[in-house]
Amino acid sequence: MAKKTIETFRCMMCGHEYQEPVEEGEDREWMCPKCRSNSIRHIKKKGDKKKS
Amino acid sequence: MDVGRHPKIELLTYSEIEEVNGYVGNFEVKIRKKARYVDPDLCNACGDCFDECPVSVPDEFQMGLSSRKAIYMQYPQAVPGAYVLDMESCLGNNPIACGACAEVCEQEAIDYDDQDEIVTRKVGTVIAAIGLDVYDPTEMDEYGYTRFENVITSMEFERLISSGGPTGGHFMRPSDQERPKRIGFIQCVGSRNPKIGRPYCSNICCMNTVKDTLLLSDHYPDTENLVFYQDIRAFGKSFEDLFQRSKQKGTKYIRGLPGDIEEDPETNNLHVTVENTTAGKIERYELDMVVLSVGVVPSEELQRISSLFTLSKTADGFFMESHPKLRPVDAPTRGVYLAGFCEAPKDIKDSVCQAGAAASKAGALLNSGEITVEAITSVIDPDLCKRCGICASVCPYSAIMWSKGEVAKVIEAACAGCGNCGAACPFDAITMRHFTDAQIKAQIRSILSENAEDKVFVFACNWCSYAGGDTAGVARFQYPTTNRLVRTMCSARVSEEMVLEAFRCGAPVVLVSGCHFTDCHYINANRQTVKRMQKLWDKLEKAGVRPERLQLEWISAAEGQRFVETMNRMEELRQTVTPEEIEHSMQALKSKPKKKKKKKEPAKAEASSSE
Amino acid sequence: MSSEQSGEELRIGVFVCDCGSNIAGTVDTAELAEWSEDLPDVVFVGHNRYACSDPGQKEIREAIEEHNLNRVVVAACTPRQHEFTFRNCLSEAGLNRYLVEMANVREHCSWVHQREKEQATAKAKDLVASAVSRAHYLEPQEEPTMPVTRKVLVIGGGIAGIEASTDLADAGHEVVLVEKEPSIGGTMARLDKTYPTMDCSV
Repeated sequence: MAKKTIETFRCMMCGHEYQEPVEEGEDREWMCPKCRSNSIRHIKKKGDKKKS
Repeated sequence: MDVGRHPKIELLTYSEIEEVNGYVGNFEVKIRKKARYVDPDLCNACGDCFDECPVSVPDEFQMGLSSRKAIYMQYPQAVPGAYVLDMESCLGNNPIACGACAEVCEQEAIDYDDQDEIVTRKVGTVIAAIGLDVYDPTEMDEYGYTRFENVITSMEFERLISSGGPTGGHFMRPSDQERPKRIGFIQCVGSRNPKIGRPYCSNICCMNTVKDTLLLSDHYPDTENLVFYQDIRAFGKSFEDLFQRSKQKGTKYIRGLPGDIEEDPETNNLHVTVENTTAGKIERYELDMVVLSVGVVPSEELQRISSLFTLSKTADGFFMESHPKLRPVDAPTRGVYLAGFCEAPKDIKDSVCQAGAAASKAGALLNSGEITVEAITSVIDPDLCKRCGICASVCPYSAIMWSKGEVAKVIEAACAGCGNCGAACPFDAITMRHFTDAQIKAQIRSILSENAEDKVFVFACNWCSYAGGDTAGVARFQYPTTNRLVRTMCSARVSEEMVLEAFRCGAPVVLVSGCHFTDCHYINANRQTVKRMQKLWDKLEKAGVRPERLQLEWISAAEGQRFVETMNRMEELRQTVTPEEIEHSMQALKSKPKKKKKKKEPAKAEASSSE
Repeated sequence: MSSEQSGEELRIGVFVCDCGSNIAGTVDTAELAEWSEDLPDVVFVGHNRYACSDPGQKEIREAIEEHNLNRVVVAACTPRQHEFTFRNCLSEAGLNRYLVEMANVREHCSWVHQREKEQATAKAKDLVASAVSRAHYLEPQEEPTMPVTRKVLVIGGGIAGIEASTDLADAGHEVVLVEKEPSIGGTMARLDKTYPTMDCSV
């Protein structure tokens, strides 16, 4: 079974940040649940910490 | 039927398309022939096996109104005239369990060890005629389809009145096997109903109901037929005539769709309440049976076939044609043609017409013997290639040959021209013919040479988002004048460098747009677009450029409305971008990042020390 | 090799199409045409009522010959509609078919900015300038020809699939008909009688 992890996404259109379970190797179109934009940025938690 | 015997037709029933490779003129298709467990060449349809089979399951062909055996034929005149064994319900060849059918079969046609078989066929053209599914009215609970026995669908009606049906043509209602005398038909169940996401007219249901009322009047003149409708669409040749005949024979047409249905638990009769909008009053009717005139929906196979051949769908979920008026049977993928219901709801006559048109087009292409393909393929300069193999790894078609330490090479016949490799090559060693870096950059610089701050810069893919803009145009949807589109074949052609160049030239907002994932015309090239966008957002942020100024949207060719919404949003976004921001990003992104020097955190340093 | 690199003298012709009033009703095509004359390496600007029509194409062919044009920009509709038409037009004029570029001033401009004529004209200028700048780098291309496998795949054995298959087979083509169910007939086989003639379905 593919591994599932909870990932963080940020909509680059409306700023909405949300989490969703993601399966490894999943091939899915991301869409903001709030504003339907496809400008969805994958926020890597670790990277975030390093930056700040 | 001729199809089963025609020497030129290879008929593969119980089979599904598994995989498609190639392109117009040269498709290679893998087809799964599902195990039938009965050799159709040996089976003489004697029916002995059917008589012996002890298993009984609902008969799908009869809409579950009667049962069939585990070994069965869909209907008596079926082509091929051979039985099929449904292994899911078969007890199997365990001598203790069963084996009855094989024992009785004189032809020895039954083989329990039959396996699925994959066959490959090479074809030049394809006709998609995958048909429809019938709307399942379960969700419209107000009509009680699952709760009341005597509420049936129009498809079940067909089986109940057919002499080949479960009742042998003796029309009766399910609750007591009595012949219903007062029958109500409710139109537009699953059609013209935006509330349930089915806004379109299913085209055939009005005339189907008219036909049903005539059948009833002919067979059983004492039945009282009522039709609840919102509009009767009897527009085709001799349709109005039938409609008038139905009325003359006594069918009552009541304008208004019932709000709900209640059942009398004693008699299983149905009470229908309706606002008769012609009479302007609420009416109640007691009926023996209600027929839901159900609409039609795209086949559940449609998405799979769509992905295999990279076709597109309209908002209704049916296949999209190349042009609504001028190329109604051509699919967007060259060499693929559409016929019948899968393109849009239509009746038998129109399906036959479209099938003829599709056959004629497919035949014309076959007759030509050879075709020219667009010269949009990639070329690798062996002198510039650093043998990294990135191009080969991103090519959706495996059209680039590369092994470690070797210069990559394009197999031109396999290259479809998305340009993904050209965008991915870090060494500018790949030229994408007719969509070269130089050509695209010249457009970027030209568009942004003056008043860049007033413009939304858009990269649009040929097949979907650019075409979505065309659709908006054809519909005369109005939107702000600020956007400027540059067309590429695929969004994956857009390199990081091109996006950065647009910002360097002063673009306040850059939009990259392409096909929805399932619509990508280059298998899955646009997944690379997503990856590039993630990298670019990181890069912009590191350079102190607001990453929100770079946007990504998937817009299908049919989504003119979404195109307009997107352009409106981009314009709103543009107005938030200040001249200072633009000036800063022009400077911050100026220096070309030097690949070799790249260490852990170079972007920030480069950005600030640029110039 | 583009002419930029080869040093061949660029002679670009721009053709502005009115498309009746479809474009000219919103975009000031006369101004657009005049403005285009000053774009780099543009040596001729034509103004057509319908560029895609036979007379329109004739004007383009004649201009190519008369002015010795080696790149053509057509400011008209979407390339998805008429790029093929204008490629053929170039072929007939003896130029390589890939030396034409279209500026979509109809679907992407005049039809969608009908109330903002001035802004629409400004946008059209940008689109033409973009096309001209791209035209500088257009190169002749040879289209590869591929043999066609003389066989057709029909997916679905309902009435449409059966009809298409028999039509093609009767015309002498090899057909592979694939049906997911155990027998052909599709939805129609389930119907009792069919309108408008009230005859049997099977």
